[in-house]
Amino acid sequence: MIVYTLFVVSLIVFAITQILPADAAVMMLGENATKEALDALRQTMGLDAPVWQQYATWLWHVLQGNLGTSLRTGQPVGPAMFEALGRSLLLAVFSIGLMLILAVPLGIIAAIRRGKVADIVVSLVSYAGVALPEFVTATIAVLIFADWMKWLPPTGYVPLTENFVDGIVHLVLPVCVISIILIAHVSRMVRSELVDVLHTDYIRAARLKGISSGQVLRRHALRNALLPTITIVALDVGYLLGGVIVVEEIFAIPGIGRQLIVAIQARDLPAIQAGVLIMAATYSIVNFIADILYAWLDKRIQYD
Amino acid sequence: MTNTEDCPVLAIENYSLDYETANGPYHALKTINLAIKRGEILGLVGESGSGKTSLAWSIMRYLPTNAREPGGKILLCGDNLLEKSERQMETFRGRRISMVFQDPSTSLNPTLSLGTQLSEVLVRHRGLTRQQAWKEGEALLAHVGLKTPAQMMHRMPHEASGGEKQRVVIASAFACNPQCIIFDEPTTALDVITSRQILDLFVELQAETGVASLYISHDLALVARTASRVAVIRRGGIVEQGSVREIFINPQQAYTRELIAAVPDPAHRLVKDDVVATDEPLVKVENVSVYFGRKPFFAALTGRKMDRVTGNNAINLVVNASEILGIVGESGSGKSTLAKAMTGLNRFEGRIWFDGREICSSSDMDNAYRKDVQIIFQHPDASLNPRQKISEILSRPLKLFGNATDLDKQIGDMLEQVRLPRTHANRYPHQLSGGEKQRVAIARAFASRPKLVICDEITSALDVSVQASVVELLLELQKASGTAYLFITHDLNLIRQIAHRIAVMYRGDLIEVVKADEIDNPDRADYTRRLIEAVPRAAAQYQ
Repeated sequence: MIVYTLFVVSLIVFAITQILPADAAVMMLGENATKEALDALRQTMGLDAPVWQQYATWLWHVLQGNLGTSLRTGQPVGPAMFEALGRSLLLAVFSIGLMLILAVPLGIIAAIRRGKVADIVVSLVSYAGVALPEFVTATIAVLIFADWMKWLPPTGYVPLTENFVDGIVHLVLPVCVISIILIAHVSRMVRSELVDVLHTDYIRAARLKGISSGQVLRRHALRNALLPTITIVALDVGYLLGGVIVVEEIFAIPGIGRQLIVAIQARDLPAIQAGVLIMAATYSIVNFIADILYAWLDKRIQYD
Repeated sequence: MTNTEDCPVLAIENYSLDYETANGPYHALKTINLAIKRGEILGLVGESGSGKTSLAWSIMRYLPTNAREPGGKILLCGDNLLEKSERQMETFRGRRISMVFQDPSTSLNPTLSLGTQLSEVLVRHRGLTRQQAWKEGEALLAHVGLKTPAQMMHRMPHEASGGEKQRVVIASAFACNPQCIIFDEPTTALDVITSRQILDLFVELQAETGVASLYISHDLALVARTASRVAVIRRGGIVEQGSVREIFINPQQAYTRELIAAVPDPAHRLVKDDVVATDEPLVKVENVSVYFGRKPFFAALTGRKMDRVTGNNAINLVVNASEILGIVGESGSGKSTLAKAMTGLNRFEGRIWFDGREICSSSDMDNAYRKDVQIIFQHPDASLNPRQKISEILSRPLKLFGNATDLDKQIGDMLEQVRLPRTHANRYPHQLSGGEKQRVAIARAFASRPKLVICDEITSALDVSVQASVVELLLELQKASGTAYLFITHDLNLIRQIAHRIAVMYRGDLIEVVKADEIDNPDRADYTRRLIEAVPRAAAQYQ
């Protein structure tokens, strides 16, 4: 299934870059280039071949691990993109980690104290988190923690391998900004799932067997309530890869989102193709893992 | 626990329960007085909404937050449960008083193995370690008649049948030798034959342990067979209680008499056997098979073989004009599958002859066919659009099949035909009771003046007394219009009353078709005999 998805994605990506109203040769040589120079370049790049042939060549190269050469820098796109992906994933992993640590307990508290003060507070905070776009929260965060308090650096990226402490310090703000939206999202999900599960017959049956409420929650309710959360988290990875562009831009983190924007602005076709394909692949793989995990936790589900 | 033989194990004294609602308090239970002695089974019979389940929750002290208890006591061996804290109740539940629930498929956690769910009771109340509890659990499962207890412990709920799951639930209810067990309709969700087995198991375990049992049910015939005493509950109050014999032979209250009369009695036939079988029946089902399962895209590409699930296996069946043909069988036997095939809702192989016309697939079922063949479903809640008024619901078939002139009058007439006031046309489905909704569904089916109406378990979601009136209505309509019915049900007593012939189905196969009054004949097929034996005898045995 995953191979199939990626094949379709590669087709779409290639098609879109073909439709884009830009001629790669014109882009590279500028508006004033002579026709001969353009034709010569087209020939070396294979742009004069029929579209399906271009696609086949590209796909063949991709399968061999060669994602093409950047029109902008003249360097191979693959290594640059994967490096950027690594930085984005680092950001994503920290954000998801922080989110899980906070969102799940918040959701549980809200569900158990349904209708009480705690629930209302959690709900309000989550709504605020969902409602505020990341550039607003990011700006506010930079303003408060970097500008006024001077606790954290406002922007920048330091590889963890270079200076671990400094790298972490630079990650704190972006991770928090991304987490706020995810926390809002996931805690609401956990809450509504848990509320549903707590009303099922088997929870009542467990309570009426004399199992204490804490035990019922831990053994019976949470497992079932957290299952759909896995799916939500996997879908959020899609957001992390795409929506994170804004955050990467604000905090000047050279992640894959930022690379892609640069590539789009420069109409760097191989880079765009490679970036989108890598994002789609990451997304598919994460969701595939989530499905496997789901089936492993819920034995009723079987995949062929 | 110190209690003498005479002192009741469970005593409910002047107990009342209210629910606070937006429209003021709702009196769910009114001064209930009940007592169950050791070794006794008290049957609590009532229709839906009568408060029987509320009483169970009160005893278990598992009430919603809007419950108020104006007065009374619930004594378990002298301990007033109303005065116990939640913490104390947690130690009582499962150990001194436990419960068996209606539907084993929802009362077991789908993600925990059966063994885990059984042994946690033992760990909690008998202080065993997990290993000990697991061993003890195997012994308990063997005791409730499960053949392979060790394997069963490791199974997940979806890997066990309904009967097996209910045995596990029963095992955990009996696990700590409680003083009292509440059974809340423990067989309602099960097949006829399985429920008979579960009932036998219950009676056996009850006799063995002498546990005081409160058996809640809507089914008088069932209670008559198991309980020693019966209490009839209506609108939150106990109408009458006494020994089973007393209640059935000499009911004091009009309501009790109504209830008893509403229980279908196979000996009391409601139709005349006057259907003439002709060479040209209304419907002839020829070799109709239904298979489920579609090849997944990839399996089709790779040519992988796929097992199809058989819903119906080469069914041959005939329905005569004006005949009521009953179809019985346990769940999964293919009754509804056949009904759906005949209405074009399932793809089928084979042929259906209707009124001389050949139908080979659902695409042959044109408007004329659909006009002549109507179906009524089990749950009126699901089959009536909640956002449409009754008038809109009933006007659809009129516009589609009949003449759309003077709709209001026609709709009014239709409602009157099914004994509903004309003013109901302006209501929405949720403003009607279950029985009224099913009447609307019946009116909708009859709007096109069909020749065949398929009734798919249409009374099984209704109370006994409502069921009796709906059946009465159906028979009247049948007499007036001469419509043939295909009446699908699992209620053998009912179908023996109203059908001319009965078709018995088992796992997709048609076992046999017999005349209704000959179904208890000893030379019937094995499966038919088992079905008949499993059905609780009606109250008639006491009359």
